[in-house]
Amino acid sequence: MKILVCVKQVPDSGETLSIDASSGWIDYGRSTVFRMNRYDEFALEEALLIRESLPGTVVHALSVGLDRVGSTIRRALEMGADHGIHIRDGRESYVSPFSVASLIASCARTRGYDLILAGVMAEDDMACQVGQLVAALLDLPCATSVIREDFRPGGSEILVEREIEGGCRQEILLKTPAVLTIQPGINAPRYPSLSHVLRARSQPQEIIESRDLGIPEQQEIAGRLRAPDLTSQGIFLEGSSREKARALVGILHEKALLLQR
Amino acid sequence: MEKDTYIIAEYIKGSIPGETLEMVTFAGELSPKKRPTIVLLGRDIAGPAQGLAEKTGCDIIAVMGENLELYNADTYRRALLDILLPLAPTWVCLPHTAMGYDLAPGLSVGLKAACITGVEAIQGRTFTRSAYAGKFLVDISPTSTSAVLTVLPGSFRPCRDFRGPVGRVTTVERSGSSPRSWTLEIKESPHRDSALKDAEVIVSAGRGIGKKENVDLLKRLATLFPRSAVGASRSVCDLGWLDYRHQIGTTGQTVSPKLYIACGISGAIQHVSGMKGSQTIVAINTDPSASIFRVAHYCVVEDLATFIPLLIEESGDLPPAGHRPPQPGWP
Ligand SMILES: Cc1cc2nc3c(=O)[nH]c(=O)nc-3n(C[C@H](O)[C@H](O)[C@H](O)COP(=O)(O)OP(=O)(O)OC[C@H]3O[C@@H](n4cnc5c(N)ncnc54)[C@H](O)[C@@H]3O)c2cc1C
Repeated sequence: MKILVCVKQVPDSGETLSIDASSGWIDYGRSTVFRMNRYDEFALEEALLIRESLPGTVVHALSVGLDRVGSTIRRALEMGADHGIHIRDGRESYVSPFSVASLIASCARTRGYDLILAGVMAEDDMACQVGQLVAALLDLPCATSVIREDFRPGGSEILVEREIEGGCRQEILLKTPAVLTIQPGINAPRYPSLSHVLRARSQPQEIIESRDLGIPEQQEIAGRLRAPDLTSQGIFLEGSSREKARALVGILHEKALLLQR
Repeated sequence: MEKDTYIIAEYIKGSIPGETLEMVTFAGELSPKKRPTIVLLGRDIAGPAQGLAEKTGCDIIAVMGENLELYNADTYRRALLDILLPLAPTWVCLPHTAMGYDLAPGLSVGLKAACITGVEAIQGRTFTRSAYAGKFLVDISPTSTSAVLTVLPGSFRPCRDFRGPVGRVTTVERSGSSPRSWTLEIKESPHRDSALKDAEVIVSAGRGIGKKENVDLLKRLATLFPRSAVGASRSVCDLGWLDYRHQIGTTGQTVSPKLYIACGISGAIQHVSGMKGSQTIVAINTDPSASIFRVAHYCVVEDLATFIPLLIEESGDLPPAGHRPPQPGWP
């Protein structure tokens, strides 16, 4: 079994991010820490679990992006991926899901993967598109929000459950090769073992330039990022922490929500 | 030329969900002069198709077949492409639901259209969507002539009953199914907690509680209220800090208690859609621009680890009945 896992690098902690006035995009200053998209950690863990249950399986991790993306691929190797692929792409601001998926698809097309996994979405763009687009571009069946999967004996079919509204689950049988986007909660992503960390340090990463794969034209353009209008009808409590606590207790008391003592 | 807009309707457990009716309102803003056409897929849907034509005044394409009873991405996509390709639609709209985001990207590839997901607002040909858990907004415009759009549930009002002429229903029989993907069944949720449904007050934990031990702090806060329960964001359940039966949101439970206290929850749409019907919402978050403050009635910018103990302490020290508490900071 040959598995490809698509991993994206995202900035850690949205809390401290700000918008760069000139570019209109996120200001990735020197202090920004990057890490693997959490949704992709679940996808990678799932691939590693499949490898444990089906000996002979190999797991490749792929990421598209700037040089700094190499650290996220290294993280994937540290977690246990066998091989890392970096599709180097120099665009810093908006890169459409379609162009990322096109690059992944043209890289994966000739490599004979039985399964392509991705997180259900990326924490930053929240598009929920790349996995499905890769599937469509490669003409493979696809299931999103997968919370469970089992290979049928022989490995040419896979039974998956995808999470849908209201906590219900849709059970689907797919022929492989297939693309799955993985829902968090399916497993508990591992911390890298020391031996893998050491190995990953010297493990070379395969680098492919995106221009060699042909960057497709984007089908949409993005304007500047802006902060949403925070004009909530809500009231921001003011004062010291204790004053706020007192005020909140007062409000809850007035609304007769607190237990009467 | 007037734009042609198509809505892909959902049909779940015998009814058309509100999200589909929101799409009619959205399509009306997208193309005000021409009513959209609604495509409905399913097995025995003649009745619902007619009902939808009456309610919305839109023309309906009812695609019927044995294999269309349960949603399947591959079967539905093939059926939709066969219908839509000859019509060359400008806009194809779906709700951003487990069906919508599953289906939209593949449709866009088949139609050679742009794909813009999670749309919350529209101005002309520009669509606004959230990024970074709602911390930022970005406007996206398609450069291609056509686009597939998914619209976040709750962003537009469901359309009102149409008073004009009833739409025309066209029925298409369809027997084919995917040769490589089969939906076998829909299973009901394995985790349900009636405690959440019955609770009048829900104290809810987000990733911002920082560690599992802090769940106890929230439990202590909950004891201040009668008929209370502890809820959680998805992340907290994924981390194993609370069981999934506590999860609130699109893939968890929908609740509408008298009071909802969101502690360290960022306010992602998937969470908010499960709790926004609460009568009073209090949010405690260190980030003043967290999007949970957009739905909260009372916003507390504080570290919950220090604030909740203060809150518990203060509640033991209530003013005598009849005395109005001081209300600094608001009119
Ligand atoms: C298909 C799909 C379905 C989903 N379904 C659901 C669902 O049903 N329910 C759900 O909840 N989510 C769901 N999600 C996930 C959702 O998108 C968010 O990722 C999740 O709700 C975020 O959880 P959170 O707010 O706890 O964590 P985060 O987004 O990480 O937010 C943590 C917050 O805590 C604050 N904070 C940090 N430290 C402190 C402190 N000391 N004191 C106070 N505040 C602090 C931070 O400022 C931040 O705002 C779903 C996602 C997908 C893709």
